[in-house]
Amino acid sequence: MKKIFGAIALISLVNVCYSQDNILNGHLSGSFESYTQLYQKDTKINAILPQDRIGSNNYLKLDYNYKQFTVGVQFESYLPTVAGYPFQINESKIANKYFKYTAKKFSVQVGDFYEQFGSGLIYRSWENRQIGINNALEGVNVHVQPIDFIKIKAVYGRQRNIFEYSNSVVRGADLELDFSQLKKSERPPTTKFSMGFSYVGRYQQYTGPDPNFPPTAEATAVRMDIQGQTASVSLEYVHKLKDPHVQNNFDMSTGKAFLLNASYAKNRMGINLNFRGLENMDYRGERDAIGSNMLVNYIPALTRQHDYLTTNIYLYNPQVAGEVGGQFELFYNFSKTAAKSSKLALNFSHYRSLDDKDKVFSFGDEKYFQDLNIEWKKKWNSKWNTVLAFHNVFHNKSVIEGGVYDDVKANIILLNATYKYAKTKSFRFELQHLSTEQDFGNWAAAVAEFSFAPKWIFYVSDLYNYGKSDLNYPVIGGSYSKSGTRFGLSYGRQRAGLFCVGGVCRFVPAASGFTATLTTTFN
Amino acid sequence: MSKVLIFRPQNVALILQSRIMKKINLLFVFATLLNLKSVAQNDLPDVKIKTLTGNEVNFKSLGNNGDTALIVSLWATWCIPCINELENINEQFEEMQKETPFKLAAVSIDDARTSSRVKSFVKGRGWNFDIYTDINSDLKRALNVNDVPHILIIKNGKIVYQHNGYVPGNEVELFEKLKTL
Repeated sequence: MKKIFGAIALISLVNVCYSQDNILNGHLSGSFESYTQLYQKDTKINAILPQDRIGSNNYLKLDYNYKQFTVGVQFESYLPTVAGYPFQINESKIANKYFKYTAKKFSVQVGDFYEQFGSGLIYRSWENRQIGINNALEGVNVHVQPIDFIKIKAVYGRQRNIFEYSNSVVRGADLELDFSQLKKSERPPTTKFSMGFSYVGRYQQYTGPDPNFPPTAEATAVRMDIQGQTASVSLEYVHKLKDPHVQNNFDMSTGKAFLLNASYAKNRMGINLNFRGLENMDYRGERDAIGSNMLVNYIPALTRQHDYLTTNIYLYNPQVAGEVGGQFELFYNFSKTAAKSSKLALNFSHYRSLDDKDKVFSFGDEKYFQDLNIEWKKKWNSKWNTVLAFHNVFHNKSVIEGGVYDDVKANIILLNATYKYAKTKSFRFELQHLSTEQDFGNWAAAVAEFSFAPKWIFYVSDLYNYGKSDLNYPVIGGSYSKSGTRFGLSYGRQRAGLFCVGGVCRFVPAASGFTATLTTTFN
Repeated sequence: MSKVLIFRPQNVALILQSRIMKKINLLFVFATLLNLKSVAQNDLPDVKIKTLTGNEVNFKSLGNNGDTALIVSLWATWCIPCINELENINEQFEEMQKETPFKLAAVSIDDARTSSRVKSFVKGRGWNFDIYTDINSDLKRALNVNDVPHILIIKNGKIVYQHNGYVPGNEVELFEKLKTL
C-alpha cells in the first residue's frame, strides 16, 4: 500500500516538476520607478530647501500569474517624499497587495484594487504617482457576467490613506446592461446601446452630538451610452445624498452631477462635445479629508490637456462645489496621404458658476475659465514637421487657486518644429510666448532637443518671465532608454505652480537642483 | 495494514507518515488534474480592454495571434511623443505590411478626462490600425508599464520586444526587430 502511494507521489512529483506547467512555472512581471531630487539653495526663485536636501519617491511592483490566479505587491519607499508632494513622509512599506482569480464570466480580487463605475463621476479608485494619488480600496472586488448582456461589479473595502487606511468603508455596486448583446450574431454589433446603474455608499462612524447627522453618504448614478460607427452619445447623472464634511462646510444638502459626451467622426473629421454641470460633488472617504486625499469619485477638468511650458501656466481646476460648462473639439485631416499631412485641431472650453446652487443647468454670472486654442500640424517633407498653435485663455485665479487676484487674460503663441536630418537623428525646437498684463506678466520659452534614436535624448530649455520678475527657469537634461528601461537626468529650476496630470492637480513649489528618474519594466 | 499496526506505539510515526503521505498524494493528484485543465495559452495578462464602439476584448486572446506579430502601443491623446510615434508608424504601415505582415493595436490609456475624445481624435488623424481604450489603466498596470509611450511586440503569445519612450527614428529599430522575428 505504502509502495503504491509512494509510486503515485513520485509520478505526480515528476509530472508536476517536468511538465513545465506547475505553480512554479507561472509568469513573473514587474516594474520599478524612482524619482529623486537633490535640492540646492536658490533664493531668487524662493526655492524650498528641505533639511535633508533630498527627496526620493520609489515604487517596486511585482505580479505573479499562474493560470487564472494572479498575486501582486507594490512596495513604496519615500526617502523622504519629493518636495511639494501632497504628503511628506520618510517611510517604506508594502503598500498594496492583492490576490486575483479570473475566469471567463467571473473574477474576484481580494486586497488592494482599482475600479471605476461609468466615467468615475460616482466612484473611481486609481493611482497616479506624479501627483500622489492612490485611493485603492482594500477589500473585495467582484465582477460577474451571468449572461452576455448583464455585467455586475461589486466593491467593498476601506480606502488607502497614504500608508494607512481610512477609518471608513466604501461599498458599491454597478450594473451594466448591454442591449446590443441581446441579438445573437457572429460579428460584434455595429451599434452598441447600453445602460448602467450604480450605487456607492460611504460609512464613517459619527460620534458627535447631532442626532440627525448622516454617518453614511450615499450616491446613485444612472448612465446611458449609444455608440455607433460614426456618432455616439453618452449621458450620466449622479445624485448624492446628504454628505456634510469639511470641504463643503458641513452642507446638509444633496449633490448632483450631469455629464454629456457626444462625438461624431467621419472620413477625415472628428467632433467631440462635453457638457457638465455639478453641484456639491466633493465626495470623500473621511469627513475631514482635504486636498487630493481619500477621494471617492473622479471629477477631471474637461479642458484641453496641455503639453508645453507656457500652456501649462494657467490651468483649470474643476470647482466641485458648483460649476457648469463644457468643451468643444474639432479634428480635421486635410490630406488623404500620410506623407505630407496637414492636420487641424480646434478646442474651446468654458466653465462658469451656477446661477441657482441647486440647478446644474443654470448659468451664473461668474466666469471661471475659458480656453480657445487652435493647433495646426504640418508635415512638410520627410525631414520637416511643424506644430503651430494659438491659445486665448481666461483664468479666474481667485476661484481656481484661492485668494484675491485679478482675472488673468492671456494669449499664447507657439511653434514646435522637428528636423529629422538622418534616419534616426533629429533636432527639435520650441519657441513660445505668453502675453498677459495681469499676474506675473509675460513669459517666453524656448526648448532645443537633440535625439538619437532609439536610445539618447539631450535637451536644454528656458522659461523666462519678463516685465515683472525677470527670472529665468533654465533646465538641461538628457535620457537614455533601452527596451523597458529609461534613465533621465536633469538640472535646473522648477517653476512654482499647478502641476496637473489626468485632470487632477497639485501645487508644486519652486525648486532648484538635480532630478533623476529611473523606470524599468520586465515582463 | 494500518489496522494491524495501529496500537503499537513504536509504529505511530509510521502511521503518521503514511497519513501525511496520503495528504501529499491528494495534493499531487489535485495538481495533476489542474494541469490537465490548462487554459493559459500565453503569459499575457487576462485583462479586458474596449474597442472604440465599447465592446470588451480580452487582451490575452488578442495576443493569441500565432505567428503574426502583434505590435501593441500604449498611448494617450495628451502625449505628444505617443502621437508622433503612431503617426510615423502609420506612414510606413502599408509599406511595412508588404514586407512583414503584422497587426497593430494602439491602446489609449486616456482616462475619463480625455477618453471621450479618442474616437474623434483618431478620425482626425486618419489612422488605419485598431484602437482600443484602457480607461482605468488596467492593462497598463498589468503589463507593468510606467509611462507612455510604451511599445511591445508580441509573437506566439510572448513579449519579444519592448521600448519605453519615443524619439523620431525609434520605428527603425522596431521594424528591424519585426523582420528578424
